Amino acid sequence: MHPLIALVDCNAFYVSCECLFRPDLWNKPVGVLSNNDGCFIARNNALKALGVKMGTPLFQVADLVKQHHVHLFSANFPLYADLSSRIMSLLETYTPSAEIYSIDEAFLDLTGICEKDPISYGISIKQAIQQNIGIPVCVGIGPTKTLAKLANFAAKKWPKTNGVVDLSCPERRERLMRRLPVNEVWGIGTRLSQQLAQLGITTVWALAQQPAQRMQAQFGVVLARTVMELNGISCLELAEIAPDKQEILCSRSFKRPLDNLTELSEALAEFCSRAAEKLRAQASTADRLSVFIRTNPFNPKEPQYQRSATLKLATGTQDTRRLINAAKQLLQGIYKEGYRYQKCGIQLSGIHPNSMPDQADIFANPKPSNERQLMACLDKINHRFPKSVSIAATGLNKSWQFQPERMSKRYTTRWNELAIVKCS
Amino acid sequence: MFIPAVDRDAVPVDLYICKVVAGFPSPADDYVEKSLDLNELLIKRPAATFFVRVEGNSMLGAGIHPDDILVVDRSLTPDAGKIVVCALNGELTVKRLAREDQQWRLVAANPDYPDIAIHEGLETIIWGVVTASIHLI
Repeated sequence: MHPLIALVDCNAFYVSCECLFRPDLWNKPVGVLSNNDGCFIARNNALKALGVKMGTPLFQVADLVKQHHVHLFSANFPLYADLSSRIMSLLETYTPSAEIYSIDEAFLDLTGICEKDPISYGISIKQAIQQNIGIPVCVGIGPTKTLAKLANFAAKKWPKTNGVVDLSCPERRERLMRRLPVNEVWGIGTRLSQQLAQLGITTVWALAQQPAQRMQAQFGVVLARTVMELNGISCLELAEIAPDKQEILCSRSFKRPLDNLTELSEALAEFCSRAAEKLRAQASTADRLSVFIRTNPFNPKEPQYQRSATLKLATGTQDTRRLINAAKQLLQGIYKEGYRYQKCGIQLSGIHPNSMPDQADIFANPKPSNERQLMACLDKINHRFPKSVSIAATGLNKSWQFQPERMSKRYTTRWNELAIVKCS
Repeated sequence: MFIPAVDRDAVPVDLYICKVVAGFPSPADDYVEKSLDLNELLIKRPAATFFVRVEGNSMLGAGIHPDDILVVDRSLTPDAGKIVVCALNGELTVKRLAREDQQWRLVAANPDYPDIAIHEGLETIIWGVVTASIHLI
């Protein structure tokens, strides 16, 4: 049995989600904007054809958007998360072992399942997702993860492939790798491809011919593994369980600049709440907290100030209240009057699993034992009635918070936001 | 091809319906069943099932009222006689699918609304098959 891995990747995922319930948009240019409606984080082919690149700020293409009646959406993550979990559960019926790589990509272990005809299997996966969930995908198949990724890239780039490419065959692999520049390989970015270019390595094929040991000596073991994978030798396993996050960051830019301690405290308290929820979701505690605040660096006329500070807690915690108190303490130390702050954030590190015994602090008061129960209760209520209970320090009106103006309805997660069908 | 086990949420089933301190256990103990679950009744393929809200009354004859919630299953094959959600003129609409003389047609339940003949492939028009209408009173 030869190892065989597929990478299934959705096409313009966020836009595809937005268009599922909107047949009026199926042939129009559509884009999805980032958290502050600032830049494009998804574009369909019609929008890409107008020259709008990933990450383009909206203000830069405002005229183009108006001229071509581009439809814009604020990111609707509840919708995307729900459609993603449907896709992943469907994919899991096609393999005994799947790795969910991102919100719209998964690696499937196809070893021994479709040896006679991997392409047909890939086509049936693609058709199943299109029919059952309405999201278009491409499937790349190969003996290693890196080749599956490369195959997926080819499937996306060339419509004649019908969205499914299998690179098991070495001759087909060679033909493709000779055509592609080295920066299309998974894990090779601009800097590395420039370094490789200086050695005369510009195509994927040229890279695959390099002796792995030489690559390891010059660039490290990661590139050596990539070279081996390009040659069909599998080095990267499928990770079925995502490792716990080692750092949790939560930050946002503000709708309007904040110039007072109270509102900055509120914002930091909100970010602490969110980060603490993520911490509890992975059953971890954190014992290090960093806070940063900064003015808008893109507005040179304004006085500039940015500072950060870090605190190590005596014992690890996942209690929102302790994190908020620590964040407030840090903020007092770095806040300076007279500046208009555009962004702040918190970062949690020193993350350890809950199950590790707490190192008691002999100088502190004994920790009340209901800390965990209280947080568990908070999470349970908020899970059932989203955003209903929060810590008072996060503020009541939160007018600094960005309000997305172009968000579609949460068609699949809220009863009062269902799509409308006409009987007329 | 392997078939994975269906993974529904665990439903605790009482082992006994009452504690047995002394005396006779309940005669019903051998017959305890799990409670009725609407999800089981209405949703056969969760990943492919969507809910939508009805506007308009052209399908009253089919038992679909304005404001009803329809259960739509995209995994089902659209067949003649089935009620379907379809994409017409940029809108999602509800019709009954009919087939006459090798021609697919979309029919409303109200004779005032004309039939629509389908000329493209079904898969570009049919969004999903309606399996139930939830009418809250």
